[in-house]
Order: sequence, then C-alpha cells, then structure tokens
Amino acid sequence: MLRKIAFNLFAWSIVLAVAFPLFWMLVTSVKPQFELFRRPPTMLPETFTLEHYWGLLTETKFLSYFWNSIILSTTTTVVVVAIATIGSYSLVRFRYRGRETLAFLVLFTYLLPSVVLILPLYLMLVNLGLSNTITSLVIAYTTFALPYALWLLRSFMAGIPEDLESAALVDGASRLGAFWDVILPQLLPGIISTALFTFILSWNEYLYALVLVNSDEARPLTTGVMNMLISSFNIEWSLLMAASVMMSVPLIIAFAFLQSYLTRGFGAGGVKG
Amino acid sequence: MADVVFSSVQKQFGSFMAVDNLNLDIQQGEFISLLGPSGCGKTTTLRMLAGLEFPTGGEIKIGDRVVNDVPPGERDIAMVFQSYALYPHMSVGQNISYPLKKRRVPKAERAAMMAKTAEMLQLTPLLDRKPKELSGGQQQRVALGRALVRDPKVFLLDEPLSNLDAKLRGHMRTELIELHQRLGRTMVYVTHDQLEAMTMSDRIAVMEGGKLQQFAPPKDVYREPANRFVASFIGTPGMNIVDGALRHEGGRWIFEAPGISVGTQNLGPETRPGNAAMGIRPEGLSFGEGPIEGIVQLVEQTGHENIVVVLVGTDMRLTGRTAADRVWRAGESVQLSIDSNQAHFFEDGPNGIRLNRPLSSPGNQEAAQ
Amino acid sequence: MTQKTKTLLERRYSMLGLLLIAPTVLVFCAVIVYPLVSAIYLSLFKIFTPTLEGTWVGLDNYRTLLAKGEFWTSLRTNLIWTVGTLTLQIIFGVGMALVLHQNIWFRSLARSLILFPYFISTVVAVLVWKWLFNDLYGILNHLMMSAGLIDWPLDYLGTMPNAMISVILVGAWKYFPFVVIAVLARLQTIPDHLYEAARIDGAGPIARFFDVTLPQLREVLVVIIMLRAIWDFKEFDLIFLLTGGGPVTSTQTLPLLVYKEAFALNQMGMASAYAVIMMLIMLVFMIIYIRRTRSEDS
Repeated sequence: MLRKIAFNLFAWSIVLAVAFPLFWMLVTSVKPQFELFRRPPTMLPETFTLEHYWGLLTETKFLSYFWNSIILSTTTTVVVVAIATIGSYSLVRFRYRGRETLAFLVLFTYLLPSVVLILPLYLMLVNLGLSNTITSLVIAYTTFALPYALWLLRSFMAGIPEDLESAALVDGASRLGAFWDVILPQLLPGIISTALFTFILSWNEYLYALVLVNSDEARPLTTGVMNMLISSFNIEWSLLMAASVMMSVPLIIAFAFLQSYLTRGFGAGGVKG
Repeated sequence: MADVVFSSVQKQFGSFMAVDNLNLDIQQGEFISLLGPSGCGKTTTLRMLAGLEFPTGGEIKIGDRVVNDVPPGERDIAMVFQSYALYPHMSVGQNISYPLKKRRVPKAERAAMMAKTAEMLQLTPLLDRKPKELSGGQQQRVALGRALVRDPKVFLLDEPLSNLDAKLRGHMRTELIELHQRLGRTMVYVTHDQLEAMTMSDRIAVMEGGKLQQFAPPKDVYREPANRFVASFIGTPGMNIVDGALRHEGGRWIFEAPGISVGTQNLGPETRPGNAAMGIRPEGLSFGEGPIEGIVQLVEQTGHENIVVVLVGTDMRLTGRTAADRVWRAGESVQLSIDSNQAHFFEDGPNGIRLNRPLSSPGNQEAAQ
Repeated sequence: MTQKTKTLLERRYSMLGLLLIAPTVLVFCAVIVYPLVSAIYLSLFKIFTPTLEGTWVGLDNYRTLLAKGEFWTSLRTNLIWTVGTLTLQIIFGVGMALVLHQNIWFRSLARSLILFPYFISTVVAVLVWKWLFNDLYGILNHLMMSAGLIDWPLDYLGTMPNAMISVILVGAWKYFPFVVIAVLARLQTIPDHLYEAARIDGAGPIARFFDVTLPQLREVLVVIIMLRAIWDFKEFDLIFLLTGGGPVTSTQTLPLLVYKEAFALNQMGMASAYAVIMMLIMLVFMIIYIRRTRSEDS
C-alpha cells in the first residue's frame, strides 16, 4: 500500500513537472502586470484579472489572426480530407498500374522536409500573384497535410473488412454506391481523426506562414502572435501568455471531447507507418 | 438445363495459378459443394462467379448469359460470406432490405418482403437491433436473410457455417438442406469440411492446387475417387494408402508392398506394371485370420465403434474399424486381411489417377487372394 | 504483372480507381513533385531573392557550399541537436510510458497532461519557455537559485553551451509525448501471460523489464527512432523561434541555414543547394524507414 502511494506520488510529480510550463502559462495570463515582477514569484495569482484577455481582443489584431487561422485551417482540412478520402479508397481497394509506386511516393513526401519545397513554392506562388493571401497558405499546407492525411486514411481504410464492400456489390450497389453506403460510414471515425490531426497541423504551422504571408490581412495566429513578441518594445508577457492560452483553445476543446479520436490517429499513422 | 457453366476458366495472381482450366456444369436447382483444403482455389472460384474476382481466361455463364463483364449486382446472385459481412451501422431490418433498396423496389413492397423473410428466419423480434448486438447464430441468419430476400437465380455460400459452434453448425446444416428443397434454387457452397459437403450436396467438386480433381455425387466421390488426392481427402478416418508396385501375373494384377500382397482382376486396360499405390478404407480391413501380421498401436473409442491403428512391419500404419464391444490392448499382435474388392489402385504420384474399372462394369465381382 | 486479357468490368474498375486518385496525383504534381524538381533546378542558378533574377552557374553552388565551413558546422550542430533531443525523447518517453502503463490515480488525466505539449503549437511552446527562461523574472532561475543550484541567474539562450542544452531540452519536452503514446499502445498489447511465465521462472521486476518488455518493444522502438530522427533532423520552428540559430551561429541547423541563405542573405540559388544536400542526407533515413514499412506491409 505504502509502495503504491509512493509510486503514485512519484508518477504524479513527473506529470506535474511536465505540465508545469502550461500551468505557468495559464497563471501568468491572469496575473496583473505588477504581480508579474514580484520576487519571489507568486505561484497562484493574488489578484485574478482577465484584463489581458480583454486587451488582447480589443487592442491587438488577435481576433483577426484568429479568424484567419480558422478559415485557413478549416479550408485546408476540408480540401485535404476530401481528396485524401477518395484517394485512399482508390489506393486500398483498386488495382491499376503504378498503385504501389504512388503509395511509396505518399510515404516519401510525408517525410520530406518543408524547407526543400518552400523555395520553389514561394517562387511559384509569387508568380501566380497569390503571395500574401490565405489561398497561398492553403496551397502550401497541402504539401504536408495531404501526404499525412492520405497515409492516415490509407491505414484506416485497410482496416475495413473487404467483405463489406463485396457484400454491397453483390447486393446490387455500384462501386461508388458501396463506397457511399458502406465504406464511408465505417470510415467516419477515421475521417474525424484525420480531420482533427490535419486541423491541428495547419493551426500550428509556422514556416510557410512566415515566408508566404507578410500582411496582417492574411496573417494566421502563429506568425501574428510571434510578431506581437518581436514588434513590442516592452514585452508584455501576460498578454503573450493570454494569447498562447487563446491559441490553444481549439486544442483544449479537441482534448476534452475528442480524445479517443486523437489517440486513434496516433495508432493508425504515427507509428505503424 | 445448365444454370452455371465454367468453361476453361483460369485465374492467375502474378505467377501463381489460383484456378487452372476449370470446367464445371451446374444444373438448375442443384446443390453443389466446392470442397478442398485451404488455398485450393475454391473461394477464388466462387468469387469469380460472384464477379468479385476477374478470370484471366475462359468464360463463366449464368443461365445463358456470359457474365464475365457483368457487375456483381446484375448477375442475379446472392451471397453469404464467411464473415457474414453484415453492415455494422445498419439495423437487422435495414441489412435485410438493402438489396431491395439497391434494386429500387418500392418502399411498401420492400417492407413486406423484408417482414416475410424475417418471419421465415425467426428474426422478427430482432429487426431493430444492430448486428453487433446479435449472437453468432443470429448474425448468420441475418446474412442468410439478406441473401434470401430477393429470390435470386443462384445462391453462393462461402463457408457460411465455419464460425459457428459444432452443435449450431449441425442444426444449420439441416436448415440449409430444407431451405434448398423448399426454394429449389441453384446453390454453390464452398467448404473445407467434407461432412458438410457429403451431407448437403447433390454433387461435390473436389479441388486441389487450383485444379478440379473430381466432380461427382457424394456417394461416387467416396466409393470411386478419381485419384489418390480425392481418395485420401474424403473419409474419416482417412483411407489407408500404401506405396508399392504392380506386376502382371497369370492374367491378373498383383500389388506388392512390404508385408502385403493383394491380387486383383478389375484394373482398367491402361494399367502398366511398376510403382503404384493401393488405397483401402478402414472398413475394408478385417481383423482375425489373415495374411498380414501387425501390432496394435493405438485404439480410439468413439462409442459406437473402435478405430484401431495397427503397425505393420517397421513403418506402415493401417487404420481399421471394429465393433465397440471388442476389447483391444496396445501392443497386442493381430492378423489382418484386405478385401480386394474394396481396394483402390492408383498410379504413382500424389495425384495418381485411379486404375480400377468403374463399379458398373462387368468382371469386378471376382475376388482373388 | 504480365499483360493478360482483362475483362471489361475489370478495366472499368481500374478506370474508376484512376479517376478517384486523379485529384491526389494532380495536387501532388503541382505542389510537391514540381517544386521538388525545381528546387534541384534552382540550385544550379545564382538568384537574388528580391528580384528573383537568376544566372546559370551549374554546380558552382555545391562546390562553394561544400568548401565553406558554415555547411559543415551546421551539419554538426544539426547532428548534435538530433542525437541529443532524440536520446532524451526516447529515454524519457519509454520511462513515462512504463509509469503510465501502471494503474496510477487519474490515469487518463495524467495521460492528457503528458500528451498536451505535443499538440500545442511550437509558437506557444516557445513563448512559454522564453518566459520560463527569462533571466530577470523567469521562474526557472528563481527556482534554481532558491534551491541553491546556482548563485547567479543563468542566460539560457544567449550563451553556449546553455543555448544548445536549452533547445535540446525544450525539444525533448515537446516531442517525447509521441514516444509515450506509441510505446504505451504497444505495451498494452503485450500479453499478460508472458509476465506470468517470467514470474513463475523467478524473474524480478528488473529482469522482467529486460527479458519481456524490452524485446517486445524493440520493433516499435526502431520505427519510432527512425521517424523521430527524420522529424527532429528537419525541425525548423522550435530552434528558429527559440534562438534564431544564435548565439551567432551556435545553434544554426541546416533548415535554419537554408532559411537564412534564402531570405536574409537573399541567395535563393545557394539556399536551394543547401536544401537539396540536406534532403540527400535525410534520404538515407527515409529509405531505411520506407523499406521497413513496406516489408511490414507485405
């Protein structure tokens, strides 16, 4: 019994140590500015305030960045998941020349460093007159999100028994009919999982946003918030921590309600490969 | 009238020949089993008939229509899968009426047909359940219901009973036989279980290595196996097969193996002297006085009989059956004789063809020692 | 496959399959294959980024970069970072997975907390750590000083070797949850009877770990190490945002070098050459990983 308690205390102290930076982010964001520079620092805020959140929403461009990020991530997710769903169906359930090579190419690009693609992409998007638009970022994000989504969905798709589709075909469905009636409902948890991962990847992306967008109209959260750090003369840590918390809100929602989908995606794509 | 015809059908996966030059004529209303060990090509054959695999050569006909280019849904077939393949997100009722929905049967009619099928299979109280809430036997009946609901020309069944426990399997066997009699439809049934094939079929197609070995009624497959493979595959306990040689002497053939010598006159004209094999079923061995000396090695008691394994010489084991009341001891010496009327002779090799004259031909009643 | 007579139906299915993969192929060609090829093409030019005007220089860029010290230093830095952070991720990740595999209180909450760093944006992680690292008001210096570990506040990011250590640590913190989840998933599939058998054979907890757990984890660990090695090697955001490659160029890895050449020094062609070389180095890992995955598939 004593050993059990000791082990639990040990385990939880590590867990809390790992989570401490996040706890500290939360605490800092609700402290008034003067309390921040108190020595020794206060572990829990003596005065609780939401002024930084208010300031963030009213005095900075945070909301506009947030909105850009929502549009950008949603568009990328919808486009990528739609293409990858039918693509993975084709890769798993059809036979044609070059299918294996294509699957190999998907895995290859899934591992490709983005700095290799970013220079030509930059040139391409500038030539197309798309620089400084959300569209340019959607196009750029496809380069990492599509291979990733394809790879995840391919393994989800492979997990659906082939007999189900065969049964639907014998029962009178066409290939696409069987896909719609039988495969899609079975794939749904996998699609949700993939969409979640794609959304998070796009939400967190930094490099492409840094290179391709240089105007506040199209700037997403990652580069936007980073700009707030760099451009301010006097760094307002509370404000930045409030921004960090707000930026993590979609993640917190995903964690609270959709955690099983997150772990499922891990199993399908992350490790098994 | 032939209902299903395979003409020179072949299926190649890469360099592997899964089905090789298959010719099969199935009559209307027949119950046919495709029987063989796993990997023999029986499931591939069924899936080609269903339109789920594509033959790399030959022609498949259903009725008088060549169906090679016809999609599965337009072949007028229904299929029961080994895994049942019930649609997990649909209720039992939706599962059963799915084929009707895909064929654009009006809604009211659909409901009536579904209700009738459910009634017949005693599924009515389960119609709103999801497949995963059902027992294995119930799932099996739903799979059957989905096939039965629209009265197709041909039923395809891919090892439908293999996931059930032994008792339920026996019960479903009788139900399937009754169903076949009632519907009078052509049924093609894939199985690796010879008991299922023997009890249910009008004819059995025994397959091995992608090739059809024999296609005949169960009785003939048992009594006149076409070759050594069929002989050893059919029957429990299996046929004793002894390798030896044939020679011709004084107008009859003598088969000789260490410790055994059997004479016969009813071999066909194509018989040649040389290496050959003899097969004898356990019931063709009789214990008591006889020319073969052996030692009892093992006795299995099944209740209504005893299965006795006898060691002859150093490494030949013969299996026989005796009445249950005869007491055996391992190590006991016995004498055996072989009823040469019941002996089968095969050409050399694992698939060596049977050399005996057909049972109906004259001259096979003469026994010899 | 050899050419065989295909049935009409089979050909129709193949056509449908091709139709369904067509959008993928088109997008791949447009945003991946074409840029990849032009990256190689660009590396043969001298290009001034703001005007994008280029002159053909052949393999000159490659000759220059291989002769320059900066490439080799960056490669070395890149390797130090990769090996350092990967080692910590694996050790800490496996350890944490073993802990979480036990029946501790509020296990799923603990798992969520552990998982969180992996999912938050690198930008958030960097902001939070910069605040923790803050020399005057950072909690880290305060805690270390009150624990008596240091006498004066440390400069975590502005001096060497502190900067490299900090970057490696933050990298480990951010990415070890990946190892935890992957290992945890594998641990849950190890059958209990293996442990029971070992116990009957008299193996203690440590022997059980080395004789039962570790061999079972071997496969998954190899895959994790390869994947993480590839991802850590190409990491840009974390290092760029924490130190910008500094102090001076002490934490400048190859991805940062590419960025600097292209957008700070405006040498687009040279940057492409760096990127291509970097990809060639990674190709070794990628091919090993892909081969492994494919053999597992079949």
